[in-house]
This record gives sequence, C-alpha cells and structure tokens, in this order.
Amino acid sequence: MSNRKPVEWTRLDNAAKIFPPNTNEKDTKVFRISCKLKETIDKEMLQEAQEKTMKSFPFYKSVLRKGVFWYYFETMDLQHDVVEEEKLPCSSLYRPGHRNYLFQVSYYDKKINLEVYHALTDGSGALAFLKTLLHYYIIEKHKDDFTDKKPLISYDASMSQRMDDSFSKYYTKNKRIKGIKIKKAYKIPGRRSIDNRTHIIEGTMPVQKVLDIARNHNTTLTVYLTALFMNSIYKEMPPRYKKYPIVLSIPVDLRGHFASGSARNFFATISVGYDFSDDTKDFNDLLESIKNEFKKKLNEKNLKEHLNVLAALERNAATRVIPLGLKDMVLRIANNISAKGITGSISNVGRVEVPEEMQEYIEQFSIYTSARRPQICMCSYKDVLSISMVSPFVGTDIQKNFFRTLANQGCEITISSNLPQ
Amino acid sequence: MLECEYCKVEIEGEFQSCPLCNGILSGESTVNSTFPLIPTIYQEYNKLIRIMIFISIVTSVVFVAINMIFLKIPRLSIIIIAALACMWMGLILIIRKKDNIPKTIMWLVALVTALAVIWDYSMGWMGWSINYVLPLVCTATMIIMAIAGKILKIGPKDYIVYILIDSLFGFIPIIFLAIGLLKVTFPSIICVATSAISVSALLLFQGQNTKQELNKRMHL
Repeated sequence: MSNRKPVEWTRLDNAAKIFPPNTNEKDTKVFRISCKLKETIDKEMLQEAQEKTMKSFPFYKSVLRKGVFWYYFETMDLQHDVVEEEKLPCSSLYRPGHRNYLFQVSYYDKKINLEVYHALTDGSGALAFLKTLLHYYIIEKHKDDFTDKKPLISYDASMSQRMDDSFSKYYTKNKRIKGIKIKKAYKIPGRRSIDNRTHIIEGTMPVQKVLDIARNHNTTLTVYLTALFMNSIYKEMPPRYKKYPIVLSIPVDLRGHFASGSARNFFATISVGYDFSDDTKDFNDLLESIKNEFKKKLNEKNLKEHLNVLAALERNAATRVIPLGLKDMVLRIANNISAKGITGSISNVGRVEVPEEMQEYIEQFSIYTSARRPQICMCSYKDVLSISMVSPFVGTDIQKNFFRTLANQGCEITISSNLPQ
Repeated sequence: MLECEYCKVEIEGEFQSCPLCNGILSGESTVNSTFPLIPTIYQEYNKLIRIMIFISIVTSVVFVAINMIFLKIPRLSIIIIAALACMWMGLILIIRKKDNIPKTIMWLVALVTALAVIWDYSMGWMGWSINYVLPLVCTATMIIMAIAGKILKIGPKDYIVYILIDSLFGFIPIIFLAIGLLKVTFPSIICVATSAISVSALLLFQGQNTKQELNKRMHL
C-alpha cells in the first residue's frame, strides 16, 4: 500500500538553495538545452525514451516543496508527458504550491528541447540527462541501424555518484564568514516585452574560425568572447556611466576541477570586470586584463575558497534555525544587492561529446537560459559553435555589435531568433 | 536563406528585417525550424475579482459618506469596512493556497479564530470567541479533515501534519480552563477530548508516517 512506503526526499544542494527565493515571472531560473536532429521528431518514441531515461535519473521525479526551515525535493509519481513546443522558451517550471516535476521535454520540427529548473541541476547535469534521452530515442527510431551493437551511454556514473551533493563532499570547515563589498557595476538599460518573454538571438558558426580569431589575439576562445561581449556592451554605454565597470559573472563547472559524477548542481561563479573610464585604452588592453582576471580567479584555490564560504553560510547554526519565509526574504535581498555588481553573464558549457555511432543522427546542440539581464550561453558540437545571446529586453544593439565583429573577421554566421518576424 | 549585407550574416526564418540591425534583407526566406512563432501573451486580471474589489470600495465609501452626512451610528461604517476586510482576507487566503486543501483549511481556522478574538475584544469582550468559536472551530476541523481525507482519498501523508497541528491547537482551551477565563466550559471540554483522541489515533495508526513527515518538513 502506498501508505506504508516511506517518503523519499532530498535536501537541496548549496547552489540550488538560491534559486527558489529568487524565482519570479521576470526570471524563471529555467534553462533549456536543445538538440536538433535530422528528421522530424516522433512523439511516442520520445515519450518512451523519456520513461526509460527517468529510470536512470530517478532524481528527476522530484517535486520542490517547502519545509519549515528549508526547501526540499520530494519524489513523487506523476503523469508527465512530452509536449510540442508551444510555450515561450524557458517559461516557468516552479510554481510555488503547485506539485509538478521541475523539467519539461518538448519537441518542435526536428528539435528536442530539455528545459530544467536550475534548482534541480546545472548545465552539465542536464546535458547528461539529455544525452541519455537522445541515446534511447535514436536507438528506437533507427532500430535497424543498431541491430548488432548499441553505443555506450557516454555518462558513466553510479546512482549514488549521480545523486551526490558534491558541495557537501568538497567543502572544508575552515572558513569564517567575512563581509563582501559589492561595487556597483554598469546596468544595461532596456525595455521588457509585455509578457516578459526571453529574447533569443542564436548565432551558429564554424568553431575552428572562432578558435583562429582567438589565437590571432593570443588568447583562448572563452577569454576572447568574454572581452568581445564586454566591448559590445561598452559601445552602447552612455558616456556618463563610464565610471561604472562592466562586470560579467561566469559560471564555472566544478566537475572540471574536483572529481564528481554528480547529476545535480556543482558549479561556482566568478566575476570578471573591466573599467572603461580610461579612453586611451583599446581592445587589446581589455583582452590582457580579462586574460589576467581569468588566470587569477580560475584556479583551484580560489574556487575552493568560494565553495567554503557558501557552505559555511549554509551550515552556520544560527542561520539554519531561521524559518523559511524569513530566509527567503533575506536571500532575495542578498541577491538584489549582489545583482547590482553584475552587468551580464557569459556561460560556456564547452564541447558536447556524443558516442560516435550516434553522431550521424545529430545536427547541433544549443543552450539558452531565462535572463534577468543580457547573457551569453554557448556550446559546441563537432565543428559547430552555437552562441546564444539571451536578453529580457527588446533592443538588439549589443547582439548586433557582437555578431558583426565576428562576421567582419571572416566568421560565417547563421542567425536564428525567436523575435517577432 | 535570407542575408543581411550590413551585418554580413545569414538569417534563418521568415523575417521582414534583420533581427540584429533592422536592416533590409536580401534572399529567400526559409522556415524557422528553431523557434515556433508564439504570439504575445496578454494577461488580464480576473474580471470577477476586479468587479468584487470595486463593489467593496463602493460599499465602504457609500457607508462612510452616509455616516458623515447623517452623523448617525458612526460605528456602523467601521463594522462594514471591517467585515469586508475579513471577507477579503478569507478570499485571498483561499485563492493563494487553493492547491493544498488541508493547508487552506488550517490557515482559515487560524484566520477565523484570530478575527473572532479581535471582534470580540472590540465589541467589549463578551468572551464568545474563546468560549464558543475557538473550541468549536477546532473540533469541527479535526472531524472534517479526518472524514474528507478518507473520502477524497488524499494520501494520509499529505494531511497528517495538518491534523497534528489542529489537534495541538485543540489543546489550547486547557490553558483557558486552568486560568478560569471561560464562562461556558462544555465546548472547550469537547474540543480537548477530541484532540486527545485525534492525537492518540494519529500516533497509534500513523506513527511512522507522522515521524517521517515531521522529519522531512522540519529538517535543518
């Protein structure tokens, strides 16, 4: 009887705790990973593939609920269908009080979308789910091609490794909480659409060309694009705001620095900023500065410190016993304060690797996120780099500057967008 | 494929002008296979709610105006406004918490009791709020939740906590009895008795579930 079965529940990991209090209509904290295949999607097969994938990722059966002191995930068996894409991209998945899963698989034409609420997992975690989903779907759709052998699923982690809260695993108890000073950063102005929709402009281009451009500037792809994004923002900056630095927040996948097979959140953010008030400096000065900032902040020691401070905040005996309602208010205020120090964000999920046998069926991967302020998300698959510029605002000048600079250096870009046509 | 010669990019989809610079495009449009067209969503606040708010404001304003013109019972307008406020509080509660019925019931119990005490006090303290309202509301809730749970087939785990909270509320009349604050004792005695039965039934038959639910909801 279902009465006797013990209720299965999990705590939220450290990064996840920030998302529920700061979720609202303007920023749903949902991100989407899309995969474009070469044929129209079959709904029933996709539904079946989802059922099979959920057996490998039982954590996705979670519903977010409010406890007295903290949020928690409760495992529930709910009816959950794949749908044709008809809602705005990255629309709300967590509705307080409502019991539903925190992810949605949808399809449109030849494309499969996976939208996930960020409290559940981060980009890399969701990618593992999507790759498994694609695996089951492609094997079923092209059954005849796979009669002898089935490709290995590229995500090799045991159930307990997937469920691992890697923040808990790696934090060390030697950090005292010290005050953080927030320096005001430039805030990009803009007008929102009446339905708060996320405006996406995606550019796909050959990754080798961008790597060459970065090499010509003596730097890596991420550093170059970070500097380019800042420069694109700078070109639209009214002169009276030049005293405020442009600061970009950059999520870093900690799985690259600390061993973890976790399918949940395991990332930290670093901020990289530049002061544009000195008019004598040029793009190369900007590049040098960004290069140095990356080197300074993107090392294990700095990330570990960051991890420890956040974990210490969470484990502090005094903060734990504060009721959830009050915690939410405090976290919201803290988020608003720290948001004043951020202009935008740039997130590089990196190369998406897929087993060789599946590669001929997959065209491209893309990644988008809900945006409170203009952001860039990018990923690459085989020789295609997909850079999505996401903005809550209607204006497109920053995107224009960004893509034009790349195009002028010989990059062949194809633009697709969800802006009204 | 459409092309923008100013931006030097190709554009997928059926655009009238360049999405980056609004410039004129050349070439043949293609179907947008990446993003389906989703028209703007306009959200209007529920018309019924707006009409009700309007009626409430009209009633309040009219009564205050009549009061001021005729200088009759000044307290009447205050009572009307207070009654409307109570109705709105109840309504907002039901709308916001409607997804979880046991929780809604619990909040209503708390609201009704609190309002009853405030009304009683402002009317000169006749004591009817703690003599009758509190015990009867608590007892009724315990019985209703137990029956509703069985009929609606809500899993016991979902409403155990609320029955527990209500039962604990039901023990409050003991304090009033002990201090001697009550003029009429039988409703309170019935309430405490029901609470005692309720708590023991809960612990005996749903003890495991109760412990797990509390652990889950109150984890630190």
